[in-house]
Amino acid sequence: MSQHNGPALGLDVGTSRIVVAKPPAEEHGGDFRYESQLNAFVEIPFSKITIGVLERERVPYTLQADQIIVHGNESEKFAGLLNAETRRPMTHGVLDAKEPDGLRMIREILACMLGPASEDRRKVCFTVPAAPLGAADSLTYHEATLRQILSGLGYEPSSINEGLAVVYGELESSNYTGIGVSCGGGLCNVCLSYLSVPVLSFSIPKAGDYIDLNAAQVTGERANRIRLSKEDSFHFNGFFADKVHQVISVYYDDMIRSLVAALKEAFARTSNLPKFNRPVPMVLSGGTALPPGFRDRFEKLLWEQDFPISVSDIRVAQNPLHSTAKGALVCALSDL
Amino acid sequence: MASPFLSITAPEPKRAEPRSRVERRAVEIDDPVERLRYLRRAMKAPEARKRRRGSATLALLILPLLVGLTPARIQSIESIPTVLHAEAPPPPVWDEDIANVWRVEANKSAEVYSNGLRIELAYATANRPRSRFPIYPTDGSAPKQFGAAPVGIVYHTTESHLAPFEEEATRRLKQLGQNLLSSLREAHSYHYLVDRFGRVFRVVEESQAAYHAGFSVWADSAGVYLNLNDSFLGVAFEGQTGAIDEVTPAQITSAKMLTDMLRSRYQIAAGNCVTHAQVSVNPENMRIAAHTDWAGRFPFAELGLPNNYDVPVPSVYVFGFGYDPAFLKAAGMSWKGLDLAEEQIRTDAGAAGARTNSTRYRASLQRRYRTIVPKNDIGEIKKSSQGDTE
Repeated sequence: MSQHNGPALGLDVGTSRIVVAKPPAEEHGGDFRYESQLNAFVEIPFSKITIGVLERERVPYTLQADQIIVHGNESEKFAGLLNAETRRPMTHGVLDAKEPDGLRMIREILACMLGPASEDRRKVCFTVPAAPLGAADSLTYHEATLRQILSGLGYEPSSINEGLAVVYGELESSNYTGIGVSCGGGLCNVCLSYLSVPVLSFSIPKAGDYIDLNAAQVTGERANRIRLSKEDSFHFNGFFADKVHQVISVYYDDMIRSLVAALKEAFARTSNLPKFNRPVPMVLSGGTALPPGFRDRFEKLLWEQDFPISVSDIRVAQNPLHSTAKGALVCALSDL
Repeated sequence: MASPFLSITAPEPKRAEPRSRVERRAVEIDDPVERLRYLRRAMKAPEARKRRRGSATLALLILPLLVGLTPARIQSIESIPTVLHAEAPPPPVWDEDIANVWRVEANKSAEVYSNGLRIELAYATANRPRSRFPIYPTDGSAPKQFGAAPVGIVYHTTESHLAPFEEEATRRLKQLGQNLLSSLREAHSYHYLVDRFGRVFRVVEESQAAYHAGFSVWADSAGVYLNLNDSFLGVAFEGQTGAIDEVTPAQITSAKMLTDMLRSRYQIAAGNCVTHAQVSVNPENMRIAAHTDWAGRFPFAELGLPNNYDVPVPSVYVFGFGYDPAFLKAAGMSWKGLDLAEEQIRTDAGAAGARTNSTRYRASLQRRYRTIVPKNDIGEIKKSSQGDTE
């Protein structure tokens, strides 16, 4: 990897997690570096002892009236201790207008992760979802607000479609031609790119949260716990250790079927797709694509369809949690 | 009605044609950021591209320096009277359906590809970065375009010492292969060597030029390429012309996989996969086949390629190179492509005017070559490219 002139950051602002990608630390090469925080927070009652413990353990928090707000990765731990759900600044891929503390919290999380910008206004490229059904207005608000926050922190922000970021992060070998799919918490984002140019992008509002919430309802568990179970031990092998896994598999299947149907419909109905001279690769990314067997299940369901584009191979991103941020960073660096 | 969750974010790209220059150039860029930067610029709106064309004039002044020609020489090339072909030369064989081959795994010692190809890296070395190369129009005018990514493959034999291909001679075969690789590595001779066991070794990195082609000429529908070290990749079979077991079956199997991979990576036309004998020229006596490796019996079909011996020989019909029929016969050459190239010269000479016979016409073509590669510079070029292998 060459040394890239000047500093830049890639930022994947997801419903579930925020990931920042940074250029290599060494002056001459090395790998991109990543830092990830849950995009969540939890309120705990104020006490000086608690403050002391948080300080000692270097847990990021903010104070609000008689509450301590713990955000980022530690929020999950505290939510578990208090048997409470975490709160989240975003829902379905965009800022949650119904969460009164959402804006403040996402600013706090971003400030903790990015730190203050240097004087020369470091570039940061952040991801935005493609428009889901009937939500174009909230997307505009979401993007503008993130720009405002990042500018306020002293950065020079630019945005990139989330699916395109997956393409930029993973499909270098095909000259950034192919289909990037990001299966996140709130949305599944899809982008078809031709030689780095986004041709078609869309999202569907069924993703990880859809599985968690529905499985939680059926099993009576908290959604948080379902998510942990899904990420830690779930796999698509047809045998389930417990009822939670069995329920998760039902909703996973439903999500994948919806995604495949949406892919088929979107590509079939688009008349001005470029004529590819060879099959294009497809890469699956995001936390929801992590369980072993996800790719195989997705591939099986896709092949059952008469898919309108010839796909050469379907693979999971090298690091599904980081590939979107990586693509955003590659985009930011290429803008320098 | 469009899908409700569908949003078209950009118009259809206009450049969907296969193996575009943009794709070829992009493939050559290793750094992902640089590659993306290049593609995003190249794929920008046509207006932006038009604006950039202004800089092409500057490139025309700078690039000749990179390929070893001074601006004064470029001037002289422009002054060559245009000699148009009466009919366009027969098009090269283009295979539109190049199989996709991709890298599956790579570590310090080897690379593995999706078609089973394994490339050993123990002897891989750098040379000098591949220069941008001029692509001359077939009418003899100054180059209007330049290339950067490989557009073809030249196949060689190493003409090195061989042991019988027998189990008892394994140790000797291996030793000979290792010695050969060491010497090729030192001389930066080829990009790849396929040894007697069919093992594929990278010798010179693909992004670098290898000294394999020497004085050479080939052409395709884009134009004419001279001295192919920068524009073509060199693939050598460990073997000897005319030996009983010229190449082993394992070598052919591996060479096919290697060819498929290189064609996929650089979108190389089948018609540009040619042998050293087909491209090699001697500018001192203006004859073709200065080197005779793979002058015949090259296993085009086994490598999934058309019989390119049937393609008209560009050095003959573009630059008037001649040949000694007796020598060619002795070398085992009997190409339909030579006959076609001769026929092309006769047709072009006729079209050039009633007073022009084939001999005079051929002389004018040779002058064209001399203008591009002056006789005085031949020694200098030889020295700078360290000649060629075999």
